[in-house]
Amino acid sequence: MKHGRRGPAFWLLAAFFTLFVMFLYGPTLTILVLSFQGPTGGLTFPLVGLSTHWFYNLFETQLVGDIAGALKRSLILGVVVMIVTMVISFSAGLAFRSRFRGSSVLFYLAIASLIVPSILISLGIGLLFRVLGLDPTWYTSAFGAHLTWTLPFGVLIMLAVFNRFDRRYEEAARDLGATPWQTIRHVVIPIVLPSLIGVGLFGFTLSYDEFARSLYTAGTFNTLPLEIYGMTTNITTPVLYALGSVTTGVSFLVIAVALVSLAWVRRRRARHGSDAGKAA
Amino acid sequence: MAKLNGGVGRRKILKGAGVMAGAALGSTVGAPMIWAQNNKNIVLRQFGTGVSNLNEVAEKCKADTGLTIQMTALDSDACVQRAVTQPNSYDIADIEYWMIKKIWPSKVLQPFDTKKLTYYDKIVPLFKTGKLKPDSVIAQGTAPHTVGFVEKQDATTFAKGETQWFTMVPTIYNADTLGIRPDLVGREISSWKDILDPKFKGKTSILNIPSIGIMDAAMICESAGIVKYGDKGNMTKAEIDKTIEFLIKTKKDGQFRAFWKTFDESVNLMTSGEVIIQSMWSPAVAAVRSKGVACKYQPLKEGYRSWGDGLAIAAHLKGPQLDAAYEYINWYLSGWTGAFLNRQGYYSAVLDTAKKFMSEDEWGFWMEGKPAKGDIMSPQGKVMEKAGTVRDGGSFDARMGAVACWNAVMDEDRYMVQKWNSFIAA
Amino acid sequence: MTRISRWTTYFQITPLAAIFLLFLVVPIATIVVVSFFDYTTTSIIPAFILQNYEELLLSPVTWQTYLQTVEFALITWVLTLLIGFTLAYFLAFHVRSATWQQVLFLVCTIPFWTSNVIRMISWIPFLGRNGLANMTLMKMGLIHQPLEFLLYSNFAVVLVYVHLYTLFMVVPIFNSMMRIDRSLLEASLDAGATGWQTLTNVILPLCKPGIAIGSIFVVTIVMGDFVTVRMMSGGLSASVALMMANAMSLLQYPAAAANAVVLLIVVLMIVVGMMRVVDIRKEL
Repeated sequence: MKHGRRGPAFWLLAAFFTLFVMFLYGPTLTILVLSFQGPTGGLTFPLVGLSTHWFYNLFETQLVGDIAGALKRSLILGVVVMIVTMVISFSAGLAFRSRFRGSSVLFYLAIASLIVPSILISLGIGLLFRVLGLDPTWYTSAFGAHLTWTLPFGVLIMLAVFNRFDRRYEEAARDLGATPWQTIRHVVIPIVLPSLIGVGLFGFTLSYDEFARSLYTAGTFNTLPLEIYGMTTNITTPVLYALGSVTTGVSFLVIAVALVSLAWVRRRRARHGSDAGKAA
Repeated sequence: MAKLNGGVGRRKILKGAGVMAGAALGSTVGAPMIWAQNNKNIVLRQFGTGVSNLNEVAEKCKADTGLTIQMTALDSDACVQRAVTQPNSYDIADIEYWMIKKIWPSKVLQPFDTKKLTYYDKIVPLFKTGKLKPDSVIAQGTAPHTVGFVEKQDATTFAKGETQWFTMVPTIYNADTLGIRPDLVGREISSWKDILDPKFKGKTSILNIPSIGIMDAAMICESAGIVKYGDKGNMTKAEIDKTIEFLIKTKKDGQFRAFWKTFDESVNLMTSGEVIIQSMWSPAVAAVRSKGVACKYQPLKEGYRSWGDGLAIAAHLKGPQLDAAYEYINWYLSGWTGAFLNRQGYYSAVLDTAKKFMSEDEWGFWMEGKPAKGDIMSPQGKVMEKAGTVRDGGSFDARMGAVACWNAVMDEDRYMVQKWNSFIAA
Repeated sequence: MTRISRWTTYFQITPLAAIFLLFLVVPIATIVVVSFFDYTTTSIIPAFILQNYEELLLSPVTWQTYLQTVEFALITWVLTLLIGFTLAYFLAFHVRSATWQQVLFLVCTIPFWTSNVIRMISWIPFLGRNGLANMTLMKMGLIHQPLEFLLYSNFAVVLVYVHLYTLFMVVPIFNSMMRIDRSLLEASLDAGATGWQTLTNVILPLCKPGIAIGSIFVVTIVMGDFVTVRMMSGGLSASVALMMANAMSLLQYPAAAANAVVLLIVVLMIVVGMMRVVDIRKEL
């Protein structure tokens, strides 16, 4: 481990890692293959011919359900949750830098929000709306339910970031005559931006794929995970796998975009030095 | 939502996104803005099981009447839940007769005025008197006619006989039995109890919807002589205990491979060979066959377990939207949909109108039990049955005439459901 | 240095506090309140009765189900911990370049971008009676009868848990490992400790916080899961959350709420136990 050649331990562990990756990707590959099932094929092997039939089918009207609508709702919800999570986490991160009454209560609430099983939150919000006589919808109750999942992550990450934040940058900015807002806008935000983007992306993913918290809170219209769950019980064709393959594809795309944009931020920063300098 | 209404024209919002339309409908109390001069602007939100909540029906309806029907498919339990807990989230409920027994008392639905139903007189008598023919015996369980009528518009209890107020317009129904893989069972199947054959250990399934599953279980227990029921459609606590006890024992012995909740799950279990004999719904059998897998809908000597689906209207509907709902339902019974459903192996509530939309050969095959002269096609245009085949179980009269029981909600429902859950958890 | 005014701080924290209040505190309180309500087939009736708890706690099924759920959680925890620790160890100490670490991490995270439900069901064609696993084994002549326990069994449930949640273990443990001062390891080796001794006496204790955080994640997720159990056991097994979901779907909200309260207490007890190992605030 210390130096020099790689011992047998390395190769053993590397083999273990490889096995794990195969374990992770195995099912994904299975459905990738099965999504090219022929038009008369079923959900399981054997393959009855090869075709792209189910990919076309995915974009046609299904026997039941509404994939496009569900996807649209999930995307909108994911983006809004992402933005709100970024703003609130950032703001809370700033606040947590100074002591205030109830700060530890809030901190433990954030932890509680993480560890209370999702289905309980879902049930609670669903019940609350029912008791109040409100109709749960994906843009009210489900939105709130998702925030209870994305915010703790966001807040904890921002806490960690601000713990390592060198406050002298801010002081310097103020000494140079920057208003508090200018300090935040031109000093703090640029420094924490990569983490903030991370928080946002994380928030989007969590919301986009959230099932349990949406279950009793989404109301009349399904979000994508609910729709997919519904489809697993209402669809007998490989169109479901085609959907899986497409979402994986989209995920790859999103990751690629995220990586490129992060790299771009880093490059930009490397080129310009710190943005902080431009504040004054 | 409120903000949106300010800047943009309302019409545009509704057209622009179905999502928004539904949202606006749901959240704006009264929503007077939806009323318009013609059907084009009317949206009816319908939920139901995957069985009948078909997008093709909505498309055809749009083409014929201009009405937009938004369909949401749910499993049976979720249907009851949605109906009761979110009464403003739907306009039309596509539900089963046993569900209405649970839902009706919560006043979220309103009855139909039979005078406004064009085809009321032609609806199969099964739904009005419980008898297919004047001399038929009424089956046990929650038979549709027992929950089909109320005395007054706002009554919460069901009427004993036919009245002007119809709780639900029947749309489709069927007689269920065991589906088998004839290529794999390797023996004659003639009774419900055959599902208990040790040869089929780990290769059987029943459904996990309490009100339906309990009736399957009752058919099995009764035929195997394990429980003697007074009325299996309305069991006593002791009978429920015995039935569930037996189910738990059977489950522990590993007789069941899985339980299913929606009919597509049963299709998947059967096509993949996980299960070779199970409680099934008729179109599920057809779906298995359309994948090139042999599957038979085996008539059994004890008779069928039957179910019925219908459309009910939400209590909040009024004015033009209520009129639209009547128009939709009258359209539903006018034949095209009936034929569409019959071709999948279900039965339509008004047979005369559906007949006009089916060829003589189709009618003979599906309804009269005659051998098919040519290939029988599914509504989607796939070959379902080769020429020469005869429908399992025969004609409409033979099948619906041999119904032993209906899916049921019993007096001891809460107790039964608790017990059922203990069976699933055991 | 300018003091940030108290009001600014409160202003900054209000949105977070409001959301936690509205969507966490009040809903949980609602569950507690409703758990004492009475109900009929179609309605819930405000009341104060203990019947829901009585029915729940006096039923042997409840205890069986809790036992089953804890068993799932325990087995999953052990497996994800062993696998996760090994993977994190490999990434932290054997992969030397930061770029490679990132790349390998990414490789592990990509599948997490596909819907959980889809990843779950994609095991079905693999594990089924006529699935890939059985076909392959039969072709190789290793078995003559298809293995039935692969699908619709507790095995399948645990397999999918491990598949879905191991990464939750890897990430925090890896973070802990990366914070270990490398000179400690050098010192340990120089003092004559074997690699194994270094692992158990130096690395393992220093990874405790990471292990605790990962464990909390895995255990709470499994304790609250019902989709995996429902899908992979084919409805043959139950979990606490599945019981709740069943009660919910049958409109027995107060029963579900009572169960939720009990589950909440159980989970909180487990978590508090684990928290004794780690001060999360210090870990940030």
